[in-house]
Amino acid sequence: MKDGLRQSMAWVHTWSGLLVCWLLLLVFMGGTASYYRHEITFWMKPELHKAAGAQSIITPAQSTALALRELQERAPKATRWTIDLPEERNPLILATWQNPPKKGMTREERRDAFRKQNFSLDPATGLQTAAPRDSRGGEFLYRLHFDLYYMSAIWGRWIVGVAAMFMLVAIVSGVITHKRIFKDFFTFRPRKGQRSWLDAHNVTAVLALPFHLMITYTGLVTLMFMYMPAATKVLYGTEQNVMFGEVFGNAERTKPAKVPAPLADLAPMLAQAERAWGVAPARVAVSHPNDAAARVELYRPSGKQLSNIEPSMTFDGVSGALLSQTEPVSTTLAARAAIYGLHVAHFADPLLRALFFVCGLAGCAMVATGALLWGVKERQAYAKVVAKGGRVGFGVRLVDALNIGAIAGLPIAFAAYFWANRLLPVEMAQRSNAEANWFFIAWGAAAILAQIRPTRAMWRFQLMVGAVLMAGIPVLNVFTTQSHLGVTLFGGAGLGKVAAFDLVVLLLGALLGWAAWWLGHKAKQKAVAKQPASKTGTTSNMEAA
Amino acid sequence: MSLLIGSSVALAFSAFAAKGIVMDRHYADLHGRGTAPAPALRQRMRTLAWLGLALSFAACIGASGWHIGPVLWCGVLSIAAWTVAVMLQYAPRKVAQGAWIGIPAALVASVLLLLH
Repeated sequence: MKDGLRQSMAWVHTWSGLLVCWLLLLVFMGGTASYYRHEITFWMKPELHKAAGAQSIITPAQSTALALRELQERAPKATRWTIDLPEERNPLILATWQNPPKKGMTREERRDAFRKQNFSLDPATGLQTAAPRDSRGGEFLYRLHFDLYYMSAIWGRWIVGVAAMFMLVAIVSGVITHKRIFKDFFTFRPRKGQRSWLDAHNVTAVLALPFHLMITYTGLVTLMFMYMPAATKVLYGTEQNVMFGEVFGNAERTKPAKVPAPLADLAPMLAQAERAWGVAPARVAVSHPNDAAARVELYRPSGKQLSNIEPSMTFDGVSGALLSQTEPVSTTLAARAAIYGLHVAHFADPLLRALFFVCGLAGCAMVATGALLWGVKERQAYAKVVAKGGRVGFGVRLVDALNIGAIAGLPIAFAAYFWANRLLPVEMAQRSNAEANWFFIAWGAAAILAQIRPTRAMWRFQLMVGAVLMAGIPVLNVFTTQSHLGVTLFGGAGLGKVAAFDLVVLLLGALLGWAAWWLGHKAKQKAVAKQPASKTGTTSNMEAA
Repeated sequence: MSLLIGSSVALAFSAFAAKGIVMDRHYADLHGRGTAPAPALRQRMRTLAWLGLALSFAACIGASGWHIGPVLWCGVLSIAAWTVAVMLQYAPRKVAQGAWIGIPAALVASVLLLLH
């Protein structure tokens, strides 16, 4: 039993990783994109770009007043108004409201109605921006990475949770089974077949290990009340909402007094919060406006702490008196908030956000190289059979096909989603659903084609399609919007994120194109080397890549 | 603040480079097959590497505080380590030369941290 632990861990690592790697790739890609979910949403609503180009010169108090005037007109009877003030990541004044639920409305109908209850104001002019197209933008990718799609969110979360648990097992067993973790710390040897794939897997995994471990663990913690309900079940039974109210306090709902009363001026409250925090609030929420029980909550912008629970101040909406401030929470709650906060990274400034994004891409590369490695290793067992003109086993063929469908197919799906956003008619009914459907139509087509012919030519074809679609997005923008790279690169600061989106997809497209070219180059070299040998039309791919 | 982060990246790169160029495989790449670094040299480089990493951590804390600083440092470490790994393969001599950047970076970081 020498080396027993290491070997059994190798087994655990291989199978825990292989079983869920394709789903994990989807989760990693969706999650990585979610670091820029507001930017993606903004990019996907080009109608808003014009307003964002102008520099905002308006104060938070003026922004709030403008939004309040509009809300008074459009939703005086709402139960809650929320106003997001312009800041670095959000150039516009965004307002939403909630109406009292009508009897007989399903959850789905209420959600649909809520999606329409919003408007955005141009901070330079105070006028309403053009109505943006119906698109869920980055929100779809964000939800996709833990709710999946075409199924209830609960099912999606359980499936993703199981996959994340496997991932955690794979990370820990991978570290134990890695014999030369320190000796091979910086080792990357290209053009050495299986060796190179293993090096690439190790370098992307080990050198960002803190990130991978953190993101997997914190991901599980974000949904811990769902995955591990035993403790709360014992204490609260079926009254889970009571628990959330007591623990987090945010479910605390005040009841309206049903006595009309005018809303106090918010400017002094904003000034008081700014004095206390040193920065102006990022979000204003008014519950029960125009009622004697009105409450105004102001939230501090993120960026100073890991916790996802930002400090807030609550004022009486009629008298304007400060009622309460968020109190220092218990250590346990603070720890959970920090763990949660680490996962969603609301605190990250542009540099740190970019680092998270790069580490996320490394996570995608780690999962992809790990998946490829299994096929490369397993294929060696068939080397002699293949040389004689035989075929590889069913398992290898299946894994190859799934690898193509996930690694080359997912970028096609992401690109198709962005193409659909620009090409579908703006007035189309259920437009945001159609965009999401295109994601899965493209992915499904790629996955099915891969199952039919899992060959090296298919790898090249799909990588090339992904490259053309990704790199084609900035070109598509020239024909479909007024805010293409020619404008955004020289436009105001508000348009920088639109330009950055175009540049990033261009870069990703170039990367995919390079991979396709490299595969073809490899095939040519091999053909030259093997010239004297018999030409066999087997479905070999990647084994010497 | 950006100067502190910059020097933190340079320090992390320099530390990993110092560690990398005395590792068996990479030392042999640089100095010819079969050569091995003297134990004293290896020890010295390792000490310098740990010092560099510690100072790079301090610079991150100085730049972003105790909340965000450690997270930033992890990202900085990953970027620096990938750079060293790729350079050791494609331009190993540049790693040995580039490692010197740690000295001015250490000076800049120390001065900024003391002024803080």
